Amino acid sequence: MQTVYHLIVFYLTCHLIWCLWREKKLWNKVSVALVLIMFLLRLFLIK
Amino acid sequence: MKNIKGNFISALLLLFAIAICFLSALKFLSMQKKEAIFPSQGLTSKKMLSSYFPGLKNTWGDTDVFLYEGQEKGGNLLILGGTHPNEPAGFITAVLLIENIQVSTGKIIIVPRANNSGFTHSEPQEGNPQRYSLETPGSTRRFRYGSRLTNPIHQWPDPSLYINPAGQKLSGAESRNLNRCYPGRKTGSLTEKIASGIMELIKKEKIDLALDLHEAAPEYPVINAIVFHENSADLAALALMELQIEGFEFRLEASPVNLRGLSHREWGDHAHIMAILLESANASHGRLKGKTSPALIVE
Repeated sequence: MQTVYHLIVFYLTCHLIWCLWREKKLWNKVSVALVLIMFLLRLFLIK
Repeated sequence: MKNIKGNFISALLLLFAIAICFLSALKFLSMQKKEAIFPSQGLTSKKMLSSYFPGLKNTWGDTDVFLYEGQEKGGNLLILGGTHPNEPAGFITAVLLIENIQVSTGKIIIVPRANNSGFTHSEPQEGNPQRYSLETPGSTRRFRYGSRLTNPIHQWPDPSLYINPAGQKLSGAESRNLNRCYPGRKTGSLTEKIASGIMELIKKEKIDLALDLHEAAPEYPVINAIVFHENSADLAALALMELQIEGFEFRLEASPVNLRGLSHREWGDHAHIMAILLESANASHGRLKGKTSPALIVE
């Protein structure tokens, strides 16, 4: 179960990193980065 | 040119996200460090709970067990602190005893961090401080303020309905509450294994009396109370009279027979020992409070 969880979060994290490059407007990039922080924390099980 | 600038900003933001995660990780991992306990000279031996139940070896449920044996034979007492790591009185009482007692008759066994896993994280969405401080003559000592439940990193996911080893139906999160998992399951969840380990300790060390130390919100009806299993009714009444003579306002609470999975209930029913749960009050618990601060915890 934990592996499935990790795979889901890993997929979404990769997707957010891709979005970080795809987004053109600065504030959209910042928003993506903030969401990315939360997903990275989840990915490494930090809180 | 515009594309290069965009790439640079993206890379910078990615680095920023990684830096935030790194700083959070350092703070998060610091919660796994155990504070030093300095046992008194009366300490006979120190074991791990896994020496009673090997199923706990190399898990976050394994915890220190301090043994104090007297020269003369006598009764055997078990004291459990840290069943709920967000109830510091239980843990601090255990630490105080470990650092000060000398035993002349019988045996005292102390487990300060009964749910070791619960000390490694904080209660989600409560804004609790990670640590609190206590002034001692030599220095200021800092201790972890943990969570009531086992760390979800160590036991996950919660079932939607939890039927504990004693057959009681509870909400899913209670599967990580050590004080609802007795008498434990040897092949169950981590919390059930911890409960199983403590049951093994009680049997192998031939414990006569066991105390589980707790705290609750000041508005909770069962505070400053001795909650007793019927096996220990006489002892609890005697202790209450002694406390009242000394000027402490305490009350007696008979353990409900149909509330299953609790330490004292299952210790008494399965190991047939005298079992007592002690409950004091802590201002940092409950809902009738302001910001939970380290000062409020030790108030």
